[in-house]
Amino acid sequence: MSYNKIKEHKDKARKVPIEIFPDPKKAIVLTYQHTGAPNTPIVSVGDTVAIGQKIADSKERVSAPVHSPISGKVAKIGDIYNSCYEECSEAIYIENDGKKTKDKTLQPFAESEINSTPNDALLKRIREAGIIGLGGAGFPTHVKLSLPPDKPIKYLVVNATEGEPYDSADERLLVEKTTNILRGVRVIRKILGNPQVVVATKTNKVEAIAKLNDVFGKEPDTKIVAKPFAYQQGDASVLQKALFHWEVPPTKRSYEMGVIVQNVATVNAVANAIFEGEPLISRVTTLNGDVAEPKNLLVKVGTPISNILSQYNVDTKDIREVVIGGVMMGHTIPTIEAPVTKRTSSIIVFSKSKYKPTKKETACIHCAYCISACPVRLHPILIYNALIKGDMAKAEKLYAKDCIACGTCSYVCPAGLPLSGTICASRH
Amino acid sequence: MAQESSNDLIVKTPPHITGEMSKNRLMTYTFFSILILTVVTAAIWSTEHTPNGWNLGLTVAINAIISVGIAVGLDALLHKVAADSPLNLMSAAVFGLIVADIYVLGVSSMASATVFTSVELFPLEAPQCFAYVAAMSVVGLIVFKKLVGLSGRKWVNPAAASKLVVMIPFINTLLVTIGHLNSGPLKVPSMAGGLSLTVPVKGNGAAGFGYYMIACFANANHAAPKVTNLNLLGIMLLDKFHGWPGGASALAVIIVGIAFLVVARKYVKWRITASYLVTVAIMSLILSSAYGDTDYLVRFLFLMFIGSSIFLAFFMATDPATTPFTGIGQIIFGVGVALLTVLMITYLQFFGASFVALVIMNLTVPLLDRIGIHKPFGR
Repeated sequence: MSYNKIKEHKDKARKVPIEIFPDPKKAIVLTYQHTGAPNTPIVSVGDTVAIGQKIADSKERVSAPVHSPISGKVAKIGDIYNSCYEECSEAIYIENDGKKTKDKTLQPFAESEINSTPNDALLKRIREAGIIGLGGAGFPTHVKLSLPPDKPIKYLVVNATEGEPYDSADERLLVEKTTNILRGVRVIRKILGNPQVVVATKTNKVEAIAKLNDVFGKEPDTKIVAKPFAYQQGDASVLQKALFHWEVPPTKRSYEMGVIVQNVATVNAVANAIFEGEPLISRVTTLNGDVAEPKNLLVKVGTPISNILSQYNVDTKDIREVVIGGVMMGHTIPTIEAPVTKRTSSIIVFSKSKYKPTKKETACIHCAYCISACPVRLHPILIYNALIKGDMAKAEKLYAKDCIACGTCSYVCPAGLPLSGTICASRH
Repeated sequence: MAQESSNDLIVKTPPHITGEMSKNRLMTYTFFSILILTVVTAAIWSTEHTPNGWNLGLTVAINAIISVGIAVGLDALLHKVAADSPLNLMSAAVFGLIVADIYVLGVSSMASATVFTSVELFPLEAPQCFAYVAAMSVVGLIVFKKLVGLSGRKWVNPAAASKLVVMIPFINTLLVTIGHLNSGPLKVPSMAGGLSLTVPVKGNGAAGFGYYMIACFANANHAAPKVTNLNLLGIMLLDKFHGWPGGASALAVIIVGIAFLVVARKYVKWRITASYLVTVAIMSLILSSAYGDTDYLVRFLFLMFIGSSIFLAFFMATDPATTPFTGIGQIIFGVGVALLTVLMITYLQFFGASFVALVIMNLTVPLLDRIGIHKPFGR
């Protein structure tokens, strides 16, 4: 099928090198940033913490701990807006003492010892480092890589398509951290039993492709696949259709098809955890939209978004919307005091002064474009009509649960109907 | 779905950007596409006058102004007096223009005083036509766009339905094949027989269908061209002087229609146009074969390029609001409109039947929407 093209808005941002954002004076670390069981704090108010020290964890398997991004004192444990879940949740407030004391619990592995290290040790390290899927899903990586022995993996797909408009963090990682990404690939590949590697990226990431060919060129059983992937093909199942020409049934997981898809930022974080002993306390995020200059920032998790906006002279009184995690699938936040999380792949600012009203919500005109535009062949308008009437049974019969929340139906709708938002809301 | 937070930040569901196509823009594209056709027809017909002296091109223009003016005015008025009535000025304008473009006008020999009343249902010329166009615009806008729209969907194409309603006083003439086309000086041959360019149809006692087409569609104010395939093709494709003004130049409809499909691609249900045209072509072939036509082109040109066929295929049958959602539903819809149109033309001698076929098929849309619900990805 042909996918609807969505304007990328990343010509400028993709050329901007990653900049290290200063540590915040106060970090607000949400205890619950992953998909799975919530964490509970393991520090108390008044405790002194070091950079990388674990501060919240869970005993449940599907969980990932969080760590202190700065050294200092726990000032408060209280609720703040959590962009991962679009509601307020528990956070640990840490005041920076400026000493940059580092926690040394996680010791680096040498590259030479990886092949002789048991998978369990590598998976434990990935878990202890709090690595989760950084493409947006936030699923704990150690769980994703802990597969049943009867499910051999044939392909490891490194998803470097980064289809979300405005976002360029992954592209900069590809350009600037190529060698580290290769190290991460080798670790994951070792854990998965040495599958073939496919690095999927878009043809217009020219600089990244050149670096990938240079660094990955001689890696055995590794292929760089650069295609003009559409935004929708960034979804793991739709990407597999493009790469392998099969459709993953919604009732199955990718690993059941012999495939593991990892976002490139996750692979980079795995390499940091294994070879640098660095837990997931920072990530690269794109600042874009109605800002003077787009940025790709290596920012500490827990940094208030207001810090980033004020650092780059964004007029906070003129802000209309702040979108976290991509303009197509991400969420608007009600307050700029919300902190950066592990899943904050981008911060897109839209201003009041540059706002141009596009289309008013009107009655459906029955053009049916939402149906032909849906990358997973759903009937968004029929599902929407069923949901509006409260007919959940009909919506389910029309496979509302199979929606991948890509937002394409709402994007193309000439009547401005909130199709995607309504369908997604019905699933919660 | 959008709300303001305490910080005045807008909080809403994704996506946070939107495509450029809006309902208003789509209607604007449609309006200007049809306006081009109206202007083309007004220009082609502007050199000609009807028997009572009205300039034909001017008549087209006045019809369009009356119809669009009434539709837009009523839409604005209803919006003002009834808060529930949404303001859809471009949609009303499109509707008004279509009403004007499907009102049959002409200077062909059929307009001669002797056959005028026996062949045509509505007045072919100004000033009488103005009243009928105005009536269609009022009925269509109020009944079929506004009142029917209150049910949550538009069940029938408003322009086609309003023409049908205004036609009700003539329904007897319409439905009873009284042989009105076989009487009078023209003796129009039925299409339910073997057609040829020049050979008279057995039993009709008149000239061949090619003669009829030339007499009907060529400019009657000039010397009639020779009855040849090439002349017939030229008339049917380039400039007909009788019928729906919107389809006076089939070539213009095809060019503008394709341009419209390209510009508004993915928002226009092209499958309907394609399946309609293909079905008409196939039906033409089947009927020609069944009746032993000596000139297959004659039937094909008539069924395909009369104004009511070609204009409807591109600009009425694809009306999104009254057509099916699913791809298969759209194809069945197009095939259905074509079949009914060809059958009514052939066996009822109702040569402008396409809009009735459209209304009938519009009513099947809720059923067609159940067909072609495909399985999603991976199921």
